[in-house]
Amino acid sequence: MPESLRVIVAGGGTVGLRTAELLHDRGHDVVLIERDPDQSERVAAEYVASIIEGDAARPAVLRQAQPDRCDAIAALTDSESTNFAICMAAQRMGELHTVMRIDGDPDELYPQYVDGIVSTASLTARVAVNEVVGGGVRSIEEVGGKVEILDVEIAEDAPAAGKTLAEVRLPRGSLIIVDAEGERIGGPETELTPGERFLVAVEGAVTDEVMNLLRG
Amino acid sequence: MSHAGDRSPAATLTLLDATMVGIGAMIGAGIFVLTGLAVETAGPAAILVFALNGGVTTFTALSYAELASAIPRNGGGYAYVREVFSAPIAFVMGWTRWFTYMIAGALYALGFASNFIEFGHIFGVDLPGNVLFWAATVVVVFVTLNAVSTAASGSAETLITLVKILILVVFVAFGLQFVDVGEFSPFFQRGNPITVLPAMGLTFIAFQGYDLIATVTEEVEDPEKNIPRAILLSVATTVVVYLFVVFVALGTLGAEGLAGAGETAIAEAAEGFMPSFPLLGSGAALIAFGAVFSTISALNAVIIGSSRVAFAMGREAQLPARLGRLHHRFGTPLVAIAASAVVMLVAVAVVPIRLVGNLASLFSLLGFVIVNLSVVRLRRQQPDLRRPFEVPFYPATPVLGIVLNLLLGAFISFQTWALAVGWLVVGAVVYLLLSRRRGEPGVPTREPEPEISEPEVTVSTED
Repeated sequence: MPESLRVIVAGGGTVGLRTAELLHDRGHDVVLIERDPDQSERVAAEYVASIIEGDAARPAVLRQAQPDRCDAIAALTDSESTNFAICMAAQRMGELHTVMRIDGDPDELYPQYVDGIVSTASLTARVAVNEVVGGGVRSIEEVGGKVEILDVEIAEDAPAAGKTLAEVRLPRGSLIIVDAEGERIGGPETELTPGERFLVAVEGAVTDEVMNLLRG
Repeated sequence: MSHAGDRSPAATLTLLDATMVGIGAMIGAGIFVLTGLAVETAGPAAILVFALNGGVTTFTALSYAELASAIPRNGGGYAYVREVFSAPIAFVMGWTRWFTYMIAGALYALGFASNFIEFGHIFGVDLPGNVLFWAATVVVVFVTLNAVSTAASGSAETLITLVKILILVVFVAFGLQFVDVGEFSPFFQRGNPITVLPAMGLTFIAFQGYDLIATVTEEVEDPEKNIPRAILLSVATTVVVYLFVVFVALGTLGAEGLAGAGETAIAEAAEGFMPSFPLLGSGAALIAFGAVFSTISALNAVIIGSSRVAFAMGREAQLPARLGRLHHRFGTPLVAIAASAVVMLVAVAVVPIRLVGNLASLFSLLGFVIVNLSVVRLRRQQPDLRRPFEVPFYPATPVLGIVLNLLLGAFISFQTWALAVGWLVVGAVVYLLLSRRRGEPGVPTREPEPEISEPEVTVSTED
């Protein structure tokens, strides 16, 4: 078990509370900051975090959560500018990993200031696509801006089905990482047996091509 | 932590269950074993001793209630202090709490042994082995049970505690009519009211254990409301029960008789007036049974308590990390339990019972001073922290708690202090060795932050 982390969650809405619950379940200590007294009472009833009642964007409030002894802060209020301000202030108070929630398109300079960006919109979109399309392909994670990691089941009648990787020419910008059981790293002799699942890293530009090869 | 799996207990504790956890841990050896010793020191004023101790405890219990309502952590007092103070002070707290539980365990084991042998005598059975043998045996048995199973306490614990209370209620109900008020004068031993203070120090341990509620927080329903309530209810109930029991014991057997009876004082008092019961025989047998039963369940409670503190400290890297791991098969903090058992056995074997009682009380007092300080410091540090329960009459309450606890500590014997300091020195060595090994004196290491230069947009498919 990794040592337990100490995490600040700013914002006790649905996203903030769920985040606090998941962190608590994994044995981490959570301090949650919530402005609205009614909402903070609801969060208190869950008994997953100690709660500072106040506006996290105000340094006098944020300081009470002791960023100087925390490992990370997740700014999850529904206001993007507030989240950014919270991350900036927290970084001045201590050395910690900063994560902010955005709802629209990310500012391209965010990465220079914040360690992690959680986009509710693209997250929801991805889950929605997983649900709608269902079956063989599930999006796991977007690593950088362009690369996506997919969990793909090789379809019966797909072009690449039954072939080894040496025989199949995947487009540049794609990589079969590992079979979904995590048994084997993809190599030339890896066989794309129909019905088996693989983790595939793809650049957005070639996703459809790779899908065509693996799914038909 | 909630994880799926068939092994972890999914018990939900109601307010009654949680209250019984506290009462169960408090009513044990304290009342059965220490009443005699308290009377020996303070005379009939022993009843005042228990009343005042109840008062002192209440101040700290209020502080515990505030911290438990605001800080959702397992690990009890140690976890709260860890939240408020720097690492070394948290270590002192954890180290002393751990020791308190272990030493209390030794006390309960010894109390069990004398009463068990007495129980045998009542039935005309001469049990083989001496007090030491039985004390060590009961520790080994219960440590083993706790090491291999995480059986849910919940309603079973509630039933056991209710039986304990019931036995004492029967004792009081029969005894009240035989109380001779004349036994209470002269009230103070040798006419000296100061004798009350050392007796308070000695019996303070009888009021420790309610903080165990703070280590089962996860399982309690509506914890932010019910835990403060359970803490206060359990202390109030226990104080009332103690006062009645001591009143009856003093009023019937008299101070001299109680003082002479030592660890089996309550049973001897019962001998005087209790009618005989079907199955169990004499009233004394019922009380001896109650004492045996109570010391066992209290012992069980402190074994759980001590291992949870050691476990929490291991998790925070304030003790070797191995203590903070669960056993892969039993799902119990096996190493933490085993380490606690060793200290308990040593205490059983080499420390005399009066000293054990004193030592446990002293460490309780010191720990409670830190808990009260935590309330004060947290109020200053985090004024906007949500506190579903607030200590009334702040800051008078925690300050009084601190002053009174220190006052009682001052009347505990020099020998006890010497042993206590010894244990703290051992702690300091452990602490320094551990922080040197981490290469960062005084601060527990955290996982190094991953170097991330690219933006990281994350999809979580949790749950």
